[in-house]
Amino acid sequence: MSTTGGSNPEYVIARVRARRSALFGDEEYRKLVRMGPAEIARFMEESEYETEVNALGSRFSGVDLIEYALNQNLAKQFNDILDWADGRLYDLIARYLRKFDAWNVKTIIRGIYSGASREEVESDLIRAGEFDDRLFSRLLDAGEMEEVVSILSGTMFGDGLAAAYEEYEEVGVLVPLENAVDRAFYEQLLEGLVVGEEAKQYREFLEAEIDFRNARNALRIARSGADLDPVDYFIEGGTLFRASELASLATSPDELVSKIRDSRYGDRLSTALSDLEEADSLIGFERALDAALLEYADTLGYVFPLSVTPIVSYILAKEREVDNIRAIARGREAGLDPDAIEEELVIL
Amino acid sequence: MAEDVKPTRKNLMAIEDRIELSERGHDTLEQKRDGLIMEFMDILDQAQDVRANLNQDYERAQNKINMARAMEGDVAVRGAAAALKEYPEITTQSKNIMGVVVPQIESSRVKKSLDQRGYGLLGSSARIDEAADAYEELLESIILAAEVETAMKKMLEEIETTKRRVNALEFKLLPELYENQEYIEQKLEEQEREEIFRLKKIKAKKEEEEKEERAAEKAAAEAEAATAD
Repeated sequence: MSTTGGSNPEYVIARVRARRSALFGDEEYRKLVRMGPAEIARFMEESEYETEVNALGSRFSGVDLIEYALNQNLAKQFNDILDWADGRLYDLIARYLRKFDAWNVKTIIRGIYSGASREEVESDLIRAGEFDDRLFSRLLDAGEMEEVVSILSGTMFGDGLAAAYEEYEEVGVLVPLENAVDRAFYEQLLEGLVVGEEAKQYREFLEAEIDFRNARNALRIARSGADLDPVDYFIEGGTLFRASELASLATSPDELVSKIRDSRYGDRLSTALSDLEEADSLIGFERALDAALLEYADTLGYVFPLSVTPIVSYILAKEREVDNIRAIARGREAGLDPDAIEEELVIL
Repeated sequence: MAEDVKPTRKNLMAIEDRIELSERGHDTLEQKRDGLIMEFMDILDQAQDVRANLNQDYERAQNKINMARAMEGDVAVRGAAAALKEYPEITTQSKNIMGVVVPQIESSRVKKSLDQRGYGLLGSSARIDEAADAYEELLESIILAAEVETAMKKMLEEIETTKRRVNALEFKLLPELYENQEYIEQKLEEQEREEIFRLKKIKAKKEEEEKEERAAEKAAAEAEAATAD
């Protein structure tokens, strides 16, 4: 559980493979989509989620219980991985898992902004990143936005948040702070990454993550018709776009789509791109991006079994499982048709 | 009640004036009622369209928010909603349709662009954008429906009131006035007849007395003449 010392991929990969085998498969999903929320909670009680469902059962009920149990289980599993990992491997895994630190910072600043209680904010946190309980406690005790910015000054979010705080004070909306947090996460993904043979594929995966994020944001801006400069939302590090060309691409969604089609992701996303050209909604395209990333990580995990990629592949698969179960439970609660829910799921 | 009215010529004239005024009022109110009904039918058509759109928008918004909560999680959707700063504002003015004051609702800051919704673009998704879009459209439909349906209700109330007034004039006030008029006319005619009869009687009595006087005088004269012979 430190960045010092030797890396131990064999040990971590062996443990992760055991965990991976416990993930829900097609058969379980087929059963789940035909269950009601209470049955899903009962089903989870007899699976890997038993501890969390039992622990949270007295505080929450229904779909909320399912969602909080899923988040807590996700956090526990990812913390375990960070605990097992040492040396360079820890650094590589932590880079990706810091997305939960970003999520938690955004949850806390939104809580302060909307005047939510400490308990409400605390229950929404997913403690799967690197932040420790002491730091969370200080952040949750902070009553002002400025205090949060000052507490985070020593973290990767510090500089970005400090710069964005001035703009936040001017405009009074969270957009600059939230964007600064997300930008800090994406920019640290590739920062100082020494690319050896074992990390080459991982770098490609992270570049794909950044490229997909840039693609979906550019398309969202293009489709929304908002007077926004896409360059302000561009994340450096990807291979698909350059900041200079994004402004012109964002004004023409067709060009943007053909640019993605001609890229190295074109084959994987070809169906989704065709759907995108015909439909108004970006949702299908976003789902295709998620599926492509999941599949990409999975392939890398098999091709390079002793690198960090099987671990990243498990992290993505676990996240997807959590998303899928939550989608089924919320979908069933809202009375959605099982087939419609099944269509929305991303299953490898 | 016709019996309550004093059958005088002054009252008859007053009643005739009231009848004339009531008939004029009745015609005007009837025209107003017909006009209001025509306006109401137009608004009704509009209200039906607005209500159909509202139902459609509601279904769509519910579907979008359900999908966003399902796929992104309730926490993410609540978080995005909490980031909103500028709440929609509504101002009401009024306009006059055939004497009926109906509200005119102006809304601002309902439709928002991506950067006005408060949540960061980099870490959110199209599902949340589409749910927010759908709810903004729903809110616009609700505001329009509130305007049109309030106008419709006010028109309906006014039509009802006008109809009651027309009916009151047509079936209560005017018949009573006609009855009173007839009663007074009959009474006056009767009084006139009685007066004539009375005058005739007096005249006949006077003539009788004069005749008797003359006969007495004549008898007295004849008696006097006989005595002289």
